[in-house]
Parts: sequence; structure tokens; C-alpha cells
Amino acid sequence: MTKAKKERIAFDASEEQLVLASLERDQLTEVKKHHFPRRRLKGFQVFVLWALRIYLLFMIAVVIYQVWSSAH
Amino acid sequence: MRPPSRRQTDSLSNAPVETVSGEIAITHEDVDRAHDRARVSDARANKSLFSRVYLVWLLIGPGVLVMLGENDGPSMLSYAATGSRYGIGFFIPFVLLTFIMALVVQEMTVRLGAATQRGHAELIFDRFGPFWGWFSMIDLTIGNFLTLITEFIAIRAGLGFFGVPPWVAVLSALAVLYLALVSHRYWTWERLTLAAAAFNLIFVPVALLTHPHWRSVGAALITWKPLPGGFSKDTLLIMLADIGATVTPWMLFFQQSATVDKGLTKRDIRFGRIDTALGAALAAAAAIATILAAAPLFTRHMSAENFQAAEFAQALVPVIGRWGAALFALGMIEAGIVASITISTSSAYAFGEVARRPHSLNIPWAEGKAFYSVLFLCAAGAAAIVLIPGLPLVYVVLVVNVIAVLAMPPALVFLFMLVNDKELMGDLVSPRWANALASCVVVLLTAAGVLFGISVVAPRWFEFLGGH
Repeated sequence: MTKAKKERIAFDASEEQLVLASLERDQLTEVKKHHFPRRRLKGFQVFVLWALRIYLLFMIAVVIYQVWSSAH
Repeated sequence: MRPPSRRQTDSLSNAPVETVSGEIAITHEDVDRAHDRARVSDARANKSLFSRVYLVWLLIGPGVLVMLGENDGPSMLSYAATGSRYGIGFFIPFVLLTFIMALVVQEMTVRLGAATQRGHAELIFDRFGPFWGWFSMIDLTIGNFLTLITEFIAIRAGLGFFGVPPWVAVLSALAVLYLALVSHRYWTWERLTLAAAAFNLIFVPVALLTHPHWRSVGAALITWKPLPGGFSKDTLLIMLADIGATVTPWMLFFQQSATVDKGLTKRDIRFGRIDTALGAALAAAAAIATILAAAPLFTRHMSAENFQAAEFAQALVPVIGRWGAALFALGMIEAGIVASITISTSSAYAFGEVARRPHSLNIPWAEGKAFYSVLFLCAAGAAAIVLIPGLPLVYVVLVVNVIAVLAMPPALVFLFMLVNDKELMGDLVSPRWANALASCVVVLLTAAGVLFGISVVAPRWFEFLGGH
């Protein structure tokens, strides 16, 4: 018996009906276990992500420098 | 039980619903959320005025919590420092502007959460790959952990005003955090935390006790003046701290995940906006009240550069009396407690989303051991660090705010790209005007970070740009 099935047994019919009546399909935990596919990035989006990497490297250096200079 | 029909709406919503047996697996989380949604449906079905108000009451939560949660210990300290150093002037409208920026950003998380039913970390992981997914989570976890330290500093300092020993203060805060969680129900957690967050407005009566000069407040809101000392590196640092006090990465992750956990749908987006706007208005009122409360220290030329929470309260005793100062200290305690609850929850949500573990405040302990462990251990670890003697607390507060500002542009860029992802959002992609507004916010925040970098690495360049 699967874990999901075991768990389902614990709920009575009225609760199952309540879930189906009150929640939208994509709100169900089982549905949310399926993930969205990877996005195919285009030219400008690739550029933005590389700019982000450079920004992060620069800013990490700034913060480290600030911490180091304050410590001394 | 019949499974719902598979709607072929778009390529990203065709995930199978049925289990192996051909039926839907209902979980504890689904049942709890369904109870909450059933009340929303009942309120929506009734068109009376009372039902409309009740519907708003049912659907508010994540927006108010995120905004009042961000009015945390270091933020209130930052506003108090602003008031004591600059008085009533430039920073009153500036702080208001930062909350408008926060509103623009947080509205996007409501739409994204309602449209996709996924958390922010999960969407970054799915759509941009594991590198950015793990980066976002680690970045968030480090930032959140450092911020949590500052929350416990505020709690310790605030309770210290009443003579409570540090270890008792820290343990009390952890007990409150645990009590909010113990029901394992999102709704109960949210209402308890909202009740605690309402005390953020305690700064309003404190400000009124100082008898602010309302004409000066009005003039400052219109003219953005005066700015004592002009624009300088110190002013920029205070501006960065105030931006960091209002717009931070954990807010994006928290509100999107809480929107999903609460069960808001596309139909509820309007209420999500009301919720966020209400939160921004309340938080702005508390922030400006804190500036006004500390402004008398500026007019009395009291140096408050390195004040901690309790020291601000002590300094205000001659102005607003012992009771007023006690209210100020209580406000600091509340700010720290609410933020420690919301920030540790945002870490746990992000962990669960990226590590593919159950992540909801509706799941029982047995199912959500990893989720609840991350949540509680983050808070307990930060609390333990605060008890280390000789920790440079004021410095930690400054570094936290600066790190938050630096980490914000990447978080905003991902939010911006996700909310404009037509495959995910369908008709809910940002309209052109919203994109223009969001672009301005991203540019402004990035510029703030870069300017700060210049002021540190090359102060001469900074002087050339107009600082001194």
C-alpha cells in the first residue's frame, strides 16, 4: 500500500468531497508535486543572468572589503 | 471519487492528477486548506456588506504579515536612528516612497503565487535551473539567519529595558515562535501572528506622546526638506538602511509561499492587493511614527549614532516619560518576535521548495519534520548566537541591512522575469505600466547598491558624484 493511499484512508468521504469542491485542481498537493519545465532563455535573458553573476561577484567583493576594513 | 477533468489550457498545467489507482491522493494539507477555502466560498456567495467585510478578513494575511514583519527590530532601530539624526524632514517622504516600492514588488508575488500555486524558490529552481535555485535558497538562508540574529538582539534589548535577563528574553521569544506553530494549521498560525503584528502600531501612540509638529510633517511630505548636513556618505548609508528596512528578499519568498499556503487563487488576487496595500499603509504609519518618536533626540542634539533598542527607550524617558519609553521598548520586542516568526518561516518554505520536501504550515509534524526543523533550528541558532558575550551587535545590524540591499537586485530580476513569463502566468503577466513601475524600482534598488559599493571601494569617485 502506498503512503498516499494509507493517508487517504484516514479521510472520510465528506472530507474528500470538501477538498474537491473547495480546492482548484492545481492547489492539490499531488498536482503540486509535478514541476514546471526549465525555461528556454533567449539572448537578452541570458545577458541579464550573466550581468547578475558579475554584479554578485562585485558586490560580494565590496561587502568582504567593508568587513575586512572595519575589522582593521 | 471521480478525478476532476483534465483541462488542456496550456502546456505547463498538464501534470497528471491521478495516482496509480486512478484516484486522487488527498493529503492532510489539502483537507485543512479546503476547510479554509470553504469559508471563503460561503462568504463570497453572500452579497451582504457584512459578508464582504468578512471576506476581506478571511483573505487578508500574507500582505499584512510581510509588511509588518519587515518592520522588524533592525528596521525600527534604523527608523529611530533616522529620526534622531535628521529629525522631521527628507526621510519622512523617503520612507513613504520605500513602502510604495515594497507595495509594487509584493503585488507581483501575490499574482505569481495565485497563478502558479508554487513558491518563489521553487519557481526559480524549475524555470532557471538548480544553480539559481540553490543560489537563491542559500542566499536567502544566510541573509535570513543574519537577520534573525538581529531580531533576537532587538528582543533581548527590548526586554532588557524591563530588567529581563538575556537568556530569559531569548527563551521567551522561542516559546512564542513555538506556540504559533503548535497547531499545525496555517490559519491559526496566521491569526496568532497577525494579532502579535498589530502591536507594531504601538509606535503611533509613542509618536503622539512627543507632540510632533504636524505642520513640519506636512511640509516635509511636500518639499522633501530639510536634509540636515546635505547629501553625504552617511546620508547614503542611512538611505540604504531605510531601503533595506522596507524591501528585502525574504519578503518575496515569504509572501509568495504564504499566498500558496493560504490557498489564494486567481479569483482572490484583488483581495491579495488589498491585503498588501493595507499592510504597507500600516507599516508605513508605524515607521513614520518611529521617526517622529525619535525626532526630539535630534532637536535636543542627543547623539544616537550607536544606540540599541533599549538605549533609544532610555533616551526618550525625559521626552515621553517612563510609560512612553516602556511602550517604545515593547514595540521593539514585538518587532523582533513577529519578524523572527515570519523570517524563519520563509527559510523553511524555501528549503522545502528547493529540497522537494513537504512545506506547509498545514502539515502535521510527522509529515513535515524537515520543514519544521529548519524553521525552528534557524530561530534557535540565531537566538543562541545572541547570547554570546561581546558580540558587536550594532555592526551586525548594519551589515544585515547592507547585505539585504545587495541581494535584492537578483531577487527582483527573477521576480520580474517570472511575472512576465507568459507560459506560467497566462493572462496575468504584468501589464506595461506595472512593468514600467517595477523596472524603476529594480533600477533604483540596484543603483542604491552600486552607489554604496562606490562609497566603500572608491570614496573619491563618490565625492565626485556629489557626496562629501
